Formats: sequence, structure tokens, C-alpha cells
Amino acid sequence: MAGSRLETVGSIFTRTRDLIRAGVLKEKPLWFDVYNAFPPLREPVFRRPRLRYGKAKSPTQDIFYHEDQIRAKFYAAYGSGPKAFDLFNPNFKSTCQRFVEKYIELQKLGETDEEKLFVEAGKALLAEGVILRRVEKARTQQEGSQVSRKSESMGVESQTALEENPPLKEVPQAQHLESPGEESKGLSPP
Amino acid sequence: MATGAVLPRLLGAGVRAAPRGRAAQRGRTLGSAAAAAAREPERDSDRSARILSEPLKHSDFFNVKELFSVRSLFNARVHLGHKAGCRHRFMEPYIFGSRLGQDIIDLEQTATHLQLALNFTAHVAFRGGIILFVSRARQFSHLIESTARSCGEYAHTRYFKGGLLTNAPLLLGARVRLPDLIIFLHTLNNVFEPHVAVRDAAKMSIPTVGVVDTNCNPCLITYPVPGNDDSPPAVQLFCQLFQTAVTRAKEKRRQLEALYRLQGAPGPHPANPAAPGAPSPGAQAQLGVGHSP
Repeated sequence: MAGSRLETVGSIFTRTRDLIRAGVLKEKPLWFDVYNAFPPLREPVFRRPRLRYGKAKSPTQDIFYHEDQIRAKFYAAYGSGPKAFDLFNPNFKSTCQRFVEKYIELQKLGETDEEKLFVEAGKALLAEGVILRRVEKARTQQEGSQVSRKSESMGVESQTALEENPPLKEVPQAQHLESPGEESKGLSPP
Repeated sequence: MATGAVLPRLLGAGVRAAPRGRAAQRGRTLGSAAAAAAREPERDSDRSARILSEPLKHSDFFNVKELFSVRSLFNARVHLGHKAGCRHRFMEPYIFGSRLGQDIIDLEQTATHLQLALNFTAHVAFRGGIILFVSRARQFSHLIESTARSCGEYAHTRYFKGGLLTNAPLLLGARVRLPDLIIFLHTLNNVFEPHVAVRDAAKMSIPTVGVVDTNCNPCLITYPVPGNDDSPPAVQLFCQLFQTAVTRAKEKRRQLEALYRLQGAPGPHPANPAAPGAPSPGAQAQLGVGHSP
């Protein structure tokens, strides 16, 4: 049986069609009519993959949602939430997702101040029984060594070091901190 | 070789008898029946031509659209691609976007491509074509081989010897019939290079259907299906879809042949050009019952 083995020239269809037209290939292959009736969306022609040079970037867009900003703030404040993600369940709602939904609900009610919304959403989750523990925020270089020592001691004796922290935390997180009482509630073992 | 379908693992089992002829129809007849005998082959070829041309007139003769939906593809995690650094340049048109560095495949496009691929597979199976399932992923080797066995076709999930397709008479025997369609569940081999069979099938003018992930090259594949080829649910879904398409097509062929044989003269438009709406496996049994005389 005659054939053309040039996979870099045209597609299998064009090669077969031309061979048949030239009379070289006597029998139509089985798939020929089917291909004719239902051609693919792109003709399977060989293309040499070329690298992109200079400033050329691929046109693929990043996928971001408006909720991502809320999620970023949540993770910055509370680290990964108290509950682990259950990926087997397709309808699983993580703590962060519940937080985001509360936030959006409150936003729809008319609130505009981001800080207030954040705090209110946190309070609403607390009311439902979800306890959120704040994490140590990124510190400046001067406080760095001092606070790292403090946080180590905090890690060892989690209950006692609590009272020393509010004065330190007040500096970077003045707007978020409601009361030391909330801290102690947050850090008590769940 | 009687039914080569019994040994799906060996490509050598692809050796089949010469094209199934209608010569058996000519029986021992007397006298004037000789004229009838002369008419038989004409009617047979006429019938077979009609059987072959009938499905091509409908856009979805085997109703493959009902086998899947965008939601079922999503649930099988078909939309998850590799990280953005692994992306192949030619897969960019099929990618919806990149979520935190992971490429997400556009399932709308996947659905269209998958419908075309399943339709083509079904038509090839309808015409009695040999289908070869190829993959080099060891995790799914058993699954693919059993899929091929269950639909009566062939699979090659082991090391692909060079020249298996291009030098077949030497490696497999003098008069081997090569596959009429190659289905790739994984286009890459174990060192993340394109499988040799992709290029060889293009050389031998064998159409290919392939699941292409975001790190694969879809150029030489006739009917690429952009989708995840690494997650087990995704591969299981694809195997199941191809198996159903092939089985349906073969069943349809049996029915049409029986129908035309019974009707004798050129039959009317077949009763159910599209497979019945019920996608249940019981549908095939019902069809068989419905068409019996």
C-alpha cells in the first residue's frame, strides 16, 4: 500500500486525499469518510514549538475573584483557619469561606469601612462558635529579635505569656485589637 | 484468526482475516435461482454502502453528547492542569486561566473536543475499525487494558518498541493490519516526552484521539481532548466514555445489519437514528429486544 510518511508536511487527511487524487492510493482508508463528515476544529498540522523572546508573554490570564482580597486579609490576620480542608467533600465550606460569605453579607447590608467589616465578620463567626486565633504579624527589624524571643516563650508556655503581648501587638495592630479579653478567648484550647 | 478481540494486550493480535466478504451469501441454488444469486452480491454491496453512509448524515448518530456534561467533567477534575511553568505553548488556547499558578483548562472547549472525539471513535468502531489504546502511565495500565478488553479492542501500555508501526511487517508479521484509530490516554511517556506513537501514527496516516494535558503538544493529534490526564477520576471517566462509545457503535452496527437483512430490499430510514435517550446500560438490551422480528 502506498503512503506518505511526511508527518511534518500537511495533515494525514491532506496527504491521503492528495494521494487518492493522484491515483497512487487505490483504496480509501476506513477513517477518510468519517473525517470528511466530521473534521476536527483544528487541522492536525505539525508546528514547531518556538520559544518566546524578549517581552512577549503568554496571553493566559490569572484567575482572581473579588473575594480574594478578603481571603488575603483573613489569612494575613488568622493564618490558615482552625479547621482543616476536607477535599473529598465537594460542598465543603472552609472557615475562610464562611468568613468571606459573612463579610459579603455585611457589605450588602450597606457597610463600607473595610476594617469595620472585617471585625464585624469576625464577631459574627465567633457568635456561631468558630474561634479565630490571630497570628504574629510581620514585625519591623528593631522589634524583630525581641519579639521572636517572646514568641518562642509563647510557644512553650502558651497560656501564661498572653498578658505581655497586647502592648507589643498594639503597635502594628492598633485598629484590629478589640480587647485583651478576646485574645485570651482565642488562645484558650478549643 | 477468528476473533482477535480476545487478546487485547498483544499488538500482534491485530492480525485479522482478510476483509470480511459477503461471499458466504452465495448459496447453492438451482436453475433460475442463479439469477437471484447474481443479484445477491449487488444487493449486499448496496446494503453495506447504505449501512456505511447512513450514520454520516446525522450530526450525532450515536448520541455521544448525552454521555457527559461540563458538570461531570468538572466533578472528575478534568479541568485541573499542571503548574504554569510546565505549560506547553500550543495548549494556551485551551487554557481558561491560571489560578494561583495552576492552569485551569476551559471545559467548554473540552466538551466540544470530547464530543468530536467520541463521535469519531464511534464511527470508526461502527465501520469495524481496529482501535488501539495507548498510554505509558503505569498507574493506569491495568485500567486501560481492562477497558480495551471489555470493548473488544486493543491496548498497548508497555514499552513501545521503535518501528512497531513504521516497521510492522518485520516486527509483527508479513500481513498485519495496523490500527485504524489510536486513542492516547496519556500523550507523554515516562520521561515527559511525546510518545513515539503520536509521531508514528502521523507517519502511517493513522488518525489519533488523545487526552492532552497542559504540558503536552496537541499538534499532531487529529482529535485532541484538552483535559487532565493525571487524576484517577479523570482517567476513569475518559476510559468509561470511550468504552461506552465503542460498545454503542458496535451494537448499533449489529442492529442495522440485522435490520437491513430482514428488510431485504433497501430499507426505510431506521427507526432510531439516535440511540435512545435513556443512557442506562439496560438500553442496549432493550434495543436488541425491540428490533427482533
